[in-house]
Amino acid sequence: MVGLSLGEKHFIQGGIDQNLRSDGRKRDAYRPISIETGVIPQANGSARIRIGATEVIASVKAELGRPNALQPDKGKVAIFVDCSPVAEPMFEGRGGEELSTELSVALQRCLMGGKSGAGAGIDLSSLIVAEGKICWDLYIDGLVISSDGNLLDALGAAIKAALSNTGIPRVQVAAGASGDEQPEVDISDEEFLQFDTSGVPVIVTLTKVGRHYIVDATSEEESQMSSAVSVSISRKGHICGLSKRGSAGLDPSVISDMISVARHISEQLINKLDSEISAAEADEDEM
Amino acid sequence: MTSKGGAAPSTYTPAPPPTYKAQRPPFFTDSDADWTRSDGRGFHQCRSAFFRTGAVNSAAGSAYAEFGNTKVIVSVFGPRESKKAMMYSDKGRLNCNVSYTTFATTVHGQGSDNKEFSTMLHKALEGAVMLETFPKTTVDVFALVLESGGSDLPVVISCASLALADAGIMMYDLVAGVSVSCLGRNLIIDPILEEESFQDGSLMITCMPSHYEVTQLTITGEWSTANLNEAMQLCLDACSKLAKIMRSCLEEAASASKD
Amino acid sequence: MEFVNPEGLRLDGRRPMEMRQLRAQIGAVAKADGSAVFEMGNTKVIAAVYGPREVQNRSQQINDQALVRCEYSMANFSTGDRRRKPKGDRRSTEISLVIRQTMEECILTNLMPRSQIDIYVQVLQADGGTRSACINAATLALADAGIPMRDLVTSCSAGFLNSTPLLDLNYVEDSAGGPDVTVGILPKVDKVTLLQMDAKLPIDTFENVMQLAVEGCKAIANYIREVLLENTKQLEYRRGL
Repeated sequence: MVGLSLGEKHFIQGGIDQNLRSDGRKRDAYRPISIETGVIPQANGSARIRIGATEVIASVKAELGRPNALQPDKGKVAIFVDCSPVAEPMFEGRGGEELSTELSVALQRCLMGGKSGAGAGIDLSSLIVAEGKICWDLYIDGLVISSDGNLLDALGAAIKAALSNTGIPRVQVAAGASGDEQPEVDISDEEFLQFDTSGVPVIVTLTKVGRHYIVDATSEEESQMSSAVSVSISRKGHICGLSKRGSAGLDPSVISDMISVARHISEQLINKLDSEISAAEADEDEM
Repeated sequence: MTSKGGAAPSTYTPAPPPTYKAQRPPFFTDSDADWTRSDGRGFHQCRSAFFRTGAVNSAAGSAYAEFGNTKVIVSVFGPRESKKAMMYSDKGRLNCNVSYTTFATTVHGQGSDNKEFSTMLHKALEGAVMLETFPKTTVDVFALVLESGGSDLPVVISCASLALADAGIMMYDLVAGVSVSCLGRNLIIDPILEEESFQDGSLMITCMPSHYEVTQLTITGEWSTANLNEAMQLCLDACSKLAKIMRSCLEEAASASKD
Repeated sequence: MEFVNPEGLRLDGRRPMEMRQLRAQIGAVAKADGSAVFEMGNTKVIAAVYGPREVQNRSQQINDQALVRCEYSMANFSTGDRRRKPKGDRRSTEISLVIRQTMEECILTNLMPRSQIDIYVQVLQADGGTRSACINAATLALADAGIPMRDLVTSCSAGFLNSTPLLDLNYVEDSAGGPDVTVGILPKVDKVTLLQMDAKLPIDTFENVMQLAVEGCKAIANYIREVLLENTKQLEYRRGL
């Protein structure tokens, strides 16, 4: 919870109106972003991202499992988010659960595409090992360590970085198993397949304060929002998911405008993230 | 209750279990020829909607909605005093809960709370309810999905706003919800369960039609701008039509109580 | 299983009385009043302290001293095999209690009546000795928050496998089922504030093992003191003093 006095509220709102926010940024500017990959050694891939004072960790773990009977040619992906009380005393006990579910659902919506799997950021059919029998189950865990607004964008970016850091072991399926028998598998310790992350979208949240929208809102700014729209956008500029927060209603034309603004911002963000991720991976290789 | 076409069979014959095909039916592929939906509707045609208020006597307000096979009942309690543990607030609280009956889906499962839908219902309604008219108190909105037949969430939201109106909770406008599915190159409105399971993307809008304001919007799957705008327009038009039906249902109930 | 090979080396290549590499960093969570990351080998925890502040739940308020609360949580990815644990299971409740009691003992609670101090610890990587790592992280975070304490509590564990006392058990050694002694001390006054043991040990061996753990605690205390000193120097430097 952010407790602000009337003066502080006016200051934040006035700053946004004049395109000069409390920390000196313009409305469409991000705080400094830094990414570190490979932070969790026991995971297949992991990344930590800092956007200003917001810090999240994402980890990807791959386990062999059985594909769903309805979709025998696809692997499975599960996304969970946890809000640690370390970030905010409010998240103590079950206090963080509501936000955790909201974020998990929003990420699921933004990254996993439609029910048929079209438009998914993660290609589920690339996770299949033996059709109908063995597939990879990807468990994506996000953990919020420090929260200063814009959690969804940070989690989205962290997952993108963690996925590009992910190596999935090469699997040899022993031939000969027929019928319903579960074939034997041999998991390689040395050979890893790099995950293709070019299709993973980025999430851009536009927070509406007064008549203007801002990107990368801090928690003080978020407390002043009337509504926020999170759009996930692929490299090609397609919308891959959208969710709205905040109580106030929006005019449909405003939403269309927000989407086009978000698309414009996403281009810069994708480039920024790409360069940060490759820098982080180069750092990790050096170590 | 209504729209149950055909005479009831004289003897009970269990319905054949739904057979899910691994492949999508041919009509969902890109080669969209002359195809009518399994219930005979056109692509841009909604199921016939049926609303009735006052379904639960003990509640302050309630409503029942039936869209094809989707049947939903919503009851509203309150406003009543917020729990002691809650902090003081000069605005009212809205507490929403969506649950499924054990027999709501074809797959026999436990009737359970749906957390995701509960928060979505809350987000869709809070923009429309004048929370400042009942400070320090809580209004409970309990939705029960009796039968799930596709487009559950929009039906729940529309029904809930009707129940709130029935309970006399002040609102800026009724909230109507409609969803659109994208299948191949086709946009189909108000999808049924089968269509939902094959969809490439979906878009749901809940809006206050007289205000022309969107209270909640979710999109999944990949959309191009043109498609998106078309789908949004489709939804908004359907919302305003739906709101008219909801309004007439309220008027009916009001005139019936006068007599 | 052989935990100490004939050359006297443990599974991870350490000597029996060797501790894992320690690393600490102060100020990991910007919004907290005090925070720290503490690493013991592959075990890594974050602690954050909020307070002293107004008591949130009035009924818990104590009129002559501060209320100290603690919550321990483990990240889903912290263990080798991923398991989604419900919050507030028995193990974390117990560890929360242990940390709370240990920290409460060293905080000068009577200086801050009618207030509340929250300590949150989050395990990022678990490889044995999480309990000790959490206490060490919490000490650092409390010091960072500037909360008055009697002393810097530090904690370390020791075990007894293959008839050799071993300092600072890792996960494999810990799950071998042998005795595991966790000790927490106030190093300056040389007093024990926490003592826990699983399994059984002859009394004379126990004394040796415990002595080893106490030595470990003292080493950690020295390290923590250095880290704090370094941090203070940095702060001074930034202020331009």
